[in-house]
Amino acid sequence: MKESLVKTTIPARAEFVDLIRLMLYGIASKMKFSFEEIEDMKVAVSEAVNNAVVHAYGGGDGEIDVAFGISDDELTIQVRDHGVAFEPDGLGKPAPLEGKSIDEIQSGGLGLFLMQALMDRVEWKQEGGTSVTLAKKRARSEETA
Amino acid sequence: MQSNKLSLRTEKRDGLIIVYVGGELDLEVASQMRAALEPLLERVDQRLVINLHDLAYIDSTGIGILISILKARHARQAPFDVEQVPVHIRKLFDMAGITPFLAIAE
Repeated sequence: MKESLVKTTIPARAEFVDLIRLMLYGIASKMKFSFEEIEDMKVAVSEAVNNAVVHAYGGGDGEIDVAFGISDDELTIQVRDHGVAFEPDGLGKPAPLEGKSIDEIQSGGLGLFLMQALMDRVEWKQEGGTSVTLAKKRARSEETA
Repeated sequence: MQSNKLSLRTEKRDGLIIVYVGGELDLEVASQMRAALEPLLERVDQRLVINLHDLAYIDSTGIGILISILKARHARQAPFDVEQVPVHIRKLFDMAGITPFLAIAE
């Protein structure tokens, strides 16, 4: 498959997050990812977009740019906002609920954790807002290997 | 924009409240889900059951709501179960580490 970039921009509002899931589904299906891989990516991408919706513009208006990078090796999804830089503090930490009691558990950091657990690579950059790049490698089939 | 992506149906029987949650439980419909469950949390004399058989998608916001229900029921020493969790959603529960806290029935 020729390297391609598919880009879109959505308003930074919760009601548009599922549009990105639909696009992800279409692109990942074209790339012949498995049902399970697509389900994983749907959650990871939504978490990245959710973060931008919730943190970037303090509830005000703004836009989120999403770019799907298609190549032979992998699918990358870059989610970028132009708002307040969001500094993640949970990168590389274990499952937030592990080894805790019911009174201690809380859902903070769960989105970040899931993104990392579900993708092969997660890159975080602050550049006039926040940019998160998620990547999933394609399993090579016999013919293309 | 009004959304019909989340479906909620409540069934009441002797000592039991079952909430059937279907469709997509994400950031957009989180407040709808919270508002529906809020009054049920206080019903300490009833066993609260959330049935996820028709749930197609959940994100960390949805899992967060389940965690808050779990904590609210635990604090009131009131029974709470989750049943019929689809395979790909069970996988997320396992990853998130929430499975050991949920009494999951088939």
